[in-house]
Amino acid sequence: MSNQESRIVTKIIHELVLFYQMHGYQNIELKTKKSEQEFVIMIYSAILSEDLLKQIHEKIDRERDLEIETYGWQLVGDIDAKSELEIVGHLIDEMMVEKQKQGMKLTFIRKNRYKQKKTPKS
Amino acid sequence: MTIKQFLRKKMITPIIFVILFTLSFIIDDVSTLWSGYLAILKSPSQLITDYLYVGGLGATLFNVSTILLLNIVMLNRLKVKMSGPVFAGLLTIAGFSFFGKNLFNTLPIYLGIYLYARKQHLEFRSFIIVVLFSTGISPLVSFLIFGNGWPLYIGIPLGIVAGILTGFILPALSAHTTRFHKGYNLYNIGFAMGILSMFYSAILTAFGIDYFIDGLISNDYHEILLILTLILSAIFIISAFIFDPRVLRSYPNLMKSTGRLVSDFIRDYGRAPTMLNVGIMGIISTLALMVLSIEINGPVMGGILTVMGFGAFGKHPKNSIPVMMGALLGAALTPVYSIDQVSMAIAVLFVTALAPVAGRYGFFIGVLAGFLHIIITPLAFRFQGGFDLYNNGFAAGFVAALLIPFLEAIFKDEPKEETT
Repeated sequence: MSNQESRIVTKIIHELVLFYQMHGYQNIELKTKKSEQEFVIMIYSAILSEDLLKQIHEKIDRERDLEIETYGWQLVGDIDAKSELEIVGHLIDEMMVEKQKQGMKLTFIRKNRYKQKKTPKS
Repeated sequence: MTIKQFLRKKMITPIIFVILFTLSFIIDDVSTLWSGYLAILKSPSQLITDYLYVGGLGATLFNVSTILLLNIVMLNRLKVKMSGPVFAGLLTIAGFSFFGKNLFNTLPIYLGIYLYARKQHLEFRSFIIVVLFSTGISPLVSFLIFGNGWPLYIGIPLGIVAGILTGFILPALSAHTTRFHKGYNLYNIGFAMGILSMFYSAILTAFGIDYFIDGLISNDYHEILLILTLILSAIFIISAFIFDPRVLRSYPNLMKSTGRLVSDFIRDYGRAPTMLNVGIMGIISTLALMVLSIEINGPVMGGILTVMGFGAFGKHPKNSIPVMMGALLGAALTPVYSIDQVSMAIAVLFVTALAPVAGRYGFFIGVLAGFLHIIITPLAFRFQGGFDLYNNGFAAGFVAALLIPFLEAIFKDEPKEETT
């Protein structure tokens, strides 16, 4: 993963955590998993309200937008009450919601779309 | 795909091209048009060079339509979908092709961005937003080639290299500058280019080269351009109702958006409400000019088309009218500035770069932002030297950077109850 990609992923995590915090979900657990194909962010929290879940779906569960990504990614992580998750929605490929016994797990997947630099053979 | 589906998908931009291209040949005969077009290509083009003055209306419309065609073809070849920023980019290109952009001075900048994409191992289309707005600094290329009296064998390579270098720097710089104003300046790339223009101007000044010009403006085509803007606005409004007869029901949702970068109205609210918004923004701009008795010349036409374009990328009546009123107030209350000055007249339109400030913080803060914008714009012009056509974007960046940290500190978000 390039340094740039690391910065983008870190900003996405920043914004998602901030979003949970601003909506009163202070106790969350976060896991990340990276593979060659994708970067996965899993957030475990209490059951989210229907309204909030709908809002997350509307903002995030949409087609990823590479053009917006290169232009606006530096604004990610700077949300307020009136502008939330819009740009993150452009940076994430898939999201999944899973209800668990004592809470809820949201999974956000960002696929590796960039050409990798060729590493010289030793 | 039917024609209706095709036009809906492309936000009727092919219709705009056909109208402008056809009109250019109706207005002028081929030889007049061609000689006017050559004069446009050879013009140094710094702010404010009205191509209507340089080449006449037919040649200017030919310039606008050919650049529009080039970019529409490029978008198709790159398989870029018509999003809000892309639509705004196309109309902004069309608008500024009335005063500063031509085929000759834009291509080196595109090449620079292409080389940057190659260097970063990214697809060129990933940078399409920067590409579409990048040519705001294209007068730099023209000035170095035609504006300084240098022989062409020096001017041409120098201009092309400067254009390529600018294109190469711009993607990284423009992504970075969004943080300076936190996305509250819709003309962010104009701000980034203002910084570059400032440095280029400093280099030229250090070598004793004079680059400021007196504005070259033509108001001779006011009536026909007034009719043209009203027709274009009407086409967007009528199209919105054709594509979705119930568009009025969904339109109010669009006006709830703050408009802060990166607001893609096509993605968020759909094509029909966005088309309606584009048309309404065109009507509002034109009405404002009529009420203020401002005649439409090249720069003013550029302002109208840009405002219409950003009707898909952050601007709507609710967040734009307050900043326009603030700008008018600034021009009326200050003894030095007057709405009769061209730079002030176009600032009343371009002040809408700050529309997200009103969208987020309300009417009165929007008026304040507009007021501050109108008094800083002339200073910004002297500071950047006139190679950045988006001077209002440069000015708006400073206004937003001044206001936003303060407003964020004052208007705190309501904390929510802890959820267990």
